[in-house]
Amino acid sequence: MNSEVCQLKELEVEHFEIREVLRCILHTILFHRALGLVRPKDVDLELFEITYVQCGDVELDRKIDDKIDQFIDRVEKHPNKKNQICLSFYEVKNKQATWFTNKVERLYWEQWYINLNVAQHPKGHFGKSHHSKVVVDRGDTAADERSARRAALEASLRDVLFQIIRFVNEKKDHVPPIPNLEGVSFPYEITISSSSDSAFGMDMFKRMLQTGHPTMLS
Amino acid sequence: MATYKGNTHSEPAKMEQIITEFFAKSLHIILESRCAYVSSRNYSGEQFLSSPSPSSSSSSSSSFRPRDKWFNLALRDCPAALENIDFWRQSNLEPMIVDVVLNQRPSNWDPLNNRGIVRNLSGKERYYYGSDSDEFGCETKSEKVVERWFLQYESKKSCGGNGGKRSNCTSSHSLYKKSILLLRSLYVTVRLLPAYKLFRDLISSAQICSYNLGHRVSSFVEPFTRREEADMQRFVFTPVETSCGRLCLSVLYRSSVSDVSSEPSTPMSPQFIQEYVGSPMAEPLKRFSSGPVSQSSPSSSPFGRRHSWSYDLYRASPPSANPSPSPTYSDSHAAISKQLSNRLPPAGLPRHLHDETHDIHMKNPSYDEYWPSPAFSPSPSPSPPTHVPGSQLSKVLLRSESAPLNIPTSRLSSIPSLPNNQMMPPSPPMKATRLIVSKRDAHMGLYHTSSTVDKLFSFSRDEPGKMSNVKPSSNNSSKSYSRNSSRLSFQDDYDDGPFVVDDDDMIDPGSRPSSFDQTRHPSGPFDPDGVFPVKKSQDAAVGALVRMLKKAPPLRQDISVNSHLLNQFSEEPLKELSVATSELISSKTTADALEELRGYKEMKDLLLKQGGNISSE
Repeated sequence: MNSEVCQLKELEVEHFEIREVLRCILHTILFHRALGLVRPKDVDLELFEITYVQCGDVELDRKIDDKIDQFIDRVEKHPNKKNQICLSFYEVKNKQATWFTNKVERLYWEQWYINLNVAQHPKGHFGKSHHSKVVVDRGDTAADERSARRAALEASLRDVLFQIIRFVNEKKDHVPPIPNLEGVSFPYEITISSSSDSAFGMDMFKRMLQTGHPTMLS
Repeated sequence: MATYKGNTHSEPAKMEQIITEFFAKSLHIILESRCAYVSSRNYSGEQFLSSPSPSSSSSSSSSFRPRDKWFNLALRDCPAALENIDFWRQSNLEPMIVDVVLNQRPSNWDPLNNRGIVRNLSGKERYYYGSDSDEFGCETKSEKVVERWFLQYESKKSCGGNGGKRSNCTSSHSLYKKSILLLRSLYVTVRLLPAYKLFRDLISSAQICSYNLGHRVSSFVEPFTRREEADMQRFVFTPVETSCGRLCLSVLYRSSVSDVSSEPSTPMSPQFIQEYVGSPMAEPLKRFSSGPVSQSSPSSSPFGRRHSWSYDLYRASPPSANPSPSPTYSDSHAAISKQLSNRLPPAGLPRHLHDETHDIHMKNPSYDEYWPSPAFSPSPSPSPPTHVPGSQLSKVLLRSESAPLNIPTSRLSSIPSLPNNQMMPPSPPMKATRLIVSKRDAHMGLYHTSSTVDKLFSFSRDEPGKMSNVKPSSNNSSKSYSRNSSRLSFQDDYDDGPFVVDDDDMIDPGSRPSSFDQTRHPSGPFDPDGVFPVKKSQDAAVGALVRMLKKAPPLRQDISVNSHLLNQFSEEPLKELSVATSELISSKTTADALEELRGYKEMKDLLLKQGGNISSE
């Protein structure tokens, strides 16, 4: 089985924008992978003039929010790292238990990497902007700067959404047959990592040992 | 493996059915998010239910219907799509081309000029504002195709009658899966294209939009000219290959439709903050248009109200708003003219206009950006005063069936908590939630406060002059009272600051009683003014007082409803919202009603005492 990887364009976000941006992206991906019967739900972003679609599954919604909480937590603890969220879809294969492996094997068939670069600000001081000289800045220019930055982020976010759409469109063959899904979506997991985090590599390595690397399976 | 319904037997037959349903579903997805009278956002649910839908099933919206199971995508009903697809089914897998058409008012009606129209209030334009029906009826329209969707099944020639069977191409299962994927991305894409913004604005502010969205479904269209096409971008979905051909979907869309959108294409947050700041602060006069819904509203100036009631009672025929009052509208009409006559005494023409501009200003907050601060001062209008009420007709109807109140009650505006919310224009949940954002982005306020302050200052600066225009026929004392109190309320607003108000609204509904108390204090000095006119016409005052007490609503209210309703407030869609607010108005004031009653009693005692004095003299 093929495994496809999609690296989404990096986004420069501020701390308070993380949640919306991640929600928007994660839900959009999951909507494309929730091939069970869904009743879509439109959601307008609060910070941007963008409407995205959720598949209207409470459990999924909650899981995403939990992961975003984790991510924000991590950003606060390790402010100086580029952070990445990986959304992986897998199939579960039951394998005969042996001495070395778990009974259940996960076959990853798709991975999405969401790359966020969180701008560093003194937390909670929204009045201050990128530079320490802002204190001297006129309110006007600071606001202009802010809205320009916001508009740029909105455009980038839109690009990312179209990137998702294109990917979904171009790569259809690797998507497994639709099972009789209990939930709406294929099984998935969301992992958080920082690029400069050495534990991340270790983690991946361990996972490869456990499950076999996706590409090795095909 | 997902199942799809149908009594198909052979693989090609299954394929064909999938393809047919794919066309239907695609059309449904497109029209559902472009066709204004069927809102996927559920804003116009009632309209939809009442509209004829040829094959809509009777099942409730929560359960899935057979049609929903196709491609595992449950969509809302869309009569337009159903009609068109029934028509299309009769053709034999012909291409389907869906044009999304923007019907625009003549070019002089772009948003920038709207401002002028609002201000000038020429009769015709006003009619369009007030009319809920066909806003584009007799005007020349300009039509523009903003999106053109191509749906096509390209069949291969080699695929004959027996061909394709068990070919190494796509199985029907695979075709079905890929169709699902394609439809998912179509569903997301229609919401990301620029035209969706038009649709969203349209359904969220139906009365104001200067455009409408239509659609045409056909098998072939006149191609765009090269010049037309130069303005457009193309997005091509990857075709789904089948054993006999391929399923193609693409769209040509106009990349900039912002010039027709009613909302300026400026960054979001400033806009919303301004909207929010603008509505409660720049609109204090608005408040008593629905404030009186609860007759026991926390007015600490009962004599101001007395005055309004007596005005109401003694004025034979207030200026009629409706050019042709019809009997069926008599109730509401009367209420409106009552209200108008009280709020807007005939001589106070500039004030009419002022209110009017506020109304519209509020209705469509996005115009905020275009309003320079001088717009808040009454611009002398060439239009006759009788027109103004007419334009308010529909809006007032929408807002409340309120009883009249006098201008002094504009002090209500200094109550930071509820009235602001009550007076928010009926706005979609989207906007309501964005208010919260505005709070989060409160730092942006710095930028805007200045302009708001400008407005406020210009407003209050003009206020005395305007107020002295109000009702020259009345005596001096009432005039001065009005002026003082209303100016006072503006200052209160200013002192509070928009974001303090905001916080109170959104976070702490429980703090309301105390804020009532606070705002009551400043009124103290002016009470003598309020009492003074009583001496002029005691009989009238007593009569009014008696009537007021008779008409007072029963004091049965459930305070606990309050917080519940408030919680709903940010989430409920439009309709519930308006219901909730009116309930709020009537339910929040038990304590205040008692207090008011006490005030009346004191008043009565005072009157009796004075009467006694007079009779003893």
